[in-house]
Amino acid sequence: VAATARLIIRNPSGLHARPAALFVRTAAGFAAEITVRNLTRAGAAADAKSIIGVLGLGVGSGNLIEVSANGPDAERAIDAIVELVDGGIGEAAEAG
Amino acid sequence: MSLDEATHAAVAQLDAIAERLRSLGREGEAAILEAQSLMALDPMLLQGAQDEIEAGRSPGDAIRDASERAAATLEAIPDPVLAARAADIRDVGSRIARLIAGHRLALPDRPSIAICQDLPPSVTAEIPEGLLLGVALVGGSATSHAAILARSLGIPAVVGIDGLTRLLAAGQGPVAATAALDGGTGDLVIDPADDEIDWWAERSAQAESSPRPIKTGPVATLDGRPIAILANIGRPEEARAALDAGADGVGLFRSEFLFLGRLRPPTEDEQVVAYRDVLERFGRHRPVVIRLADIGGDKDVPYLGLPAEDNPFLGVRAVRLAVDSPDLLVVQVRAIMRAATAAGVTANIMAPMVATLEDVDLLEAIVGQARRELPAGADARLRLGVMIEVPSAVLLIRELAARVAFVSIGTNDLTQYLFAADRTNARLARYQQATHPAVLRAIAAVVDGAHGSGIQVAVCGELAGDPAGARLLAGLGVDELSMGYRSIGPVAEALSTVTMGELATAARAALDEPC
Repeated sequence: VAATARLIIRNPSGLHARPAALFVRTAAGFAAEITVRNLTRAGAAADAKSIIGVLGLGVGSGNLIEVSANGPDAERAIDAIVELVDGGIGEAAEAG
Repeated sequence: MSLDEATHAAVAQLDAIAERLRSLGREGEAAILEAQSLMALDPMLLQGAQDEIEAGRSPGDAIRDASERAAATLEAIPDPVLAARAADIRDVGSRIARLIAGHRLALPDRPSIAICQDLPPSVTAEIPEGLLLGVALVGGSATSHAAILARSLGIPAVVGIDGLTRLLAAGQGPVAATAALDGGTGDLVIDPADDEIDWWAERSAQAESSPRPIKTGPVATLDGRPIAILANIGRPEEARAALDAGADGVGLFRSEFLFLGRLRPPTEDEQVVAYRDVLERFGRHRPVVIRLADIGGDKDVPYLGLPAEDNPFLGVRAVRLAVDSPDLLVVQVRAIMRAATAAGVTANIMAPMVATLEDVDLLEAIVGQARRELPAGADARLRLGVMIEVPSAVLLIRELAARVAFVSIGTNDLTQYLFAADRTNARLARYQQATHPAVLRAIAAVVDGAHGSGIQVAVCGELAGDPAGARLLAGLGVDELSMGYRSIGPVAEALSTVTMGELATAARAALDEPC
């Protein structure tokens, strides 16, 4: 099973400090292989379960990312990540 | 310990430190330690280390190498936040390597001054409360983690001390029984002699017993002439300290931090975030003046592709860059206006290095273009002001004042340009006299011309932050003084204990002082 989603990151400092950690912890909760690309900056995809990989994408506020999952729980993984990003990744009050 | 055992031990340590910080209410630091705990289990980092172990390296070397490579990758991205995360990765790598080797860090067991290459975040957090009296670093910068932490704990920190390298080569552990550190002057003395200890003890007691004056409300002279006291800031992080010091606003928000030390110019969105944060903190009643980027000249900005100049202080910098690269300033003005709209405040924009009325034409064209390109509903109220730091601007003050909403005198550059003496050249230091009658007469002329057009005059150079200098400037009729936040209390006290009449008399005398 494969699933994918494109999302705009609206957190003021992007996927940098705490939001990056929450993003990675969420991805790590699934068996599927999950990769993420920063479509705004272009460049290689990173392992969504690697905090170093996700930080290395340099996702700033307003950047568009693409998350792809492959594996038995791929769809549930993508749903969870979409929900996380839509909810402001723990920074709801400041997002948007 | 094997790599696997060491990573799990590191996670346990980091989680425990994070937990303790959280229970102490140090939420921000706790979040950093939690991110470090995630790094210790990072599949990329561990795979990199595993590959090296299979290639024959020792586990300790392998994890250090792998973390160094990961950190270097992050540092290649021009973003100050990621540079801090790179330090976190190195910190984690060192912790795992120490666990593998069975090394324990010698943490202080009595009140101590930490003397080190750098003090990594997780190590700082492990030092028990109250045992860290000061920090002296060989490396680091004023914005490094250790320096920021030291400020938040209210302990002195001195960074970039070259002379310490040999001392540290001896290895870890106590380097001396006694040391003294002055965060104000940057002095560090190792093993001071007995009489020196007495002197330091006296100095320290003095500093603690004489409370620094605090500004608590609006400042006026004894006879009621109000003088606004604002802060100069160079980064959004300084906004809070400026507010705590009682600043009536920000008279100079330098925007260079967004433009320097990176390979690409900042995006408009990135700028909006940085400006909006400060504008919102200060709110409607404490104006924030944002200065357009004063880059070029002696400051290296790779993405502008500027040729080296023989005479950078007289070269293509600040508003002069706009002739060839107008986009840079158009984007910045647009970002400031969007931030001001979002924060519900007036945008106060100040242009540096204005020398002619044509420079004002250029600025107005830039503002006009920025306004046209704004998204609907983002058209903020805007006040445009100019810095007075080039002698021609002093002589053109009447015409300039008729065109702009405010002026702010940069006494450091004005002094350098009036005396034609490079202020970075130590052999010309005798010309850097901001209280010389030549400079004071220029300031008086600016006040006269600006008040004639009904606009206010601010001073944002170092002279404004010196209590005696502030008195002189107030006596010359300057309406607003902007300074580093540490000077706000002392300057507020200096101005609220005299009358305007006394200040004016003293200023007149200084204008005519034999020179």
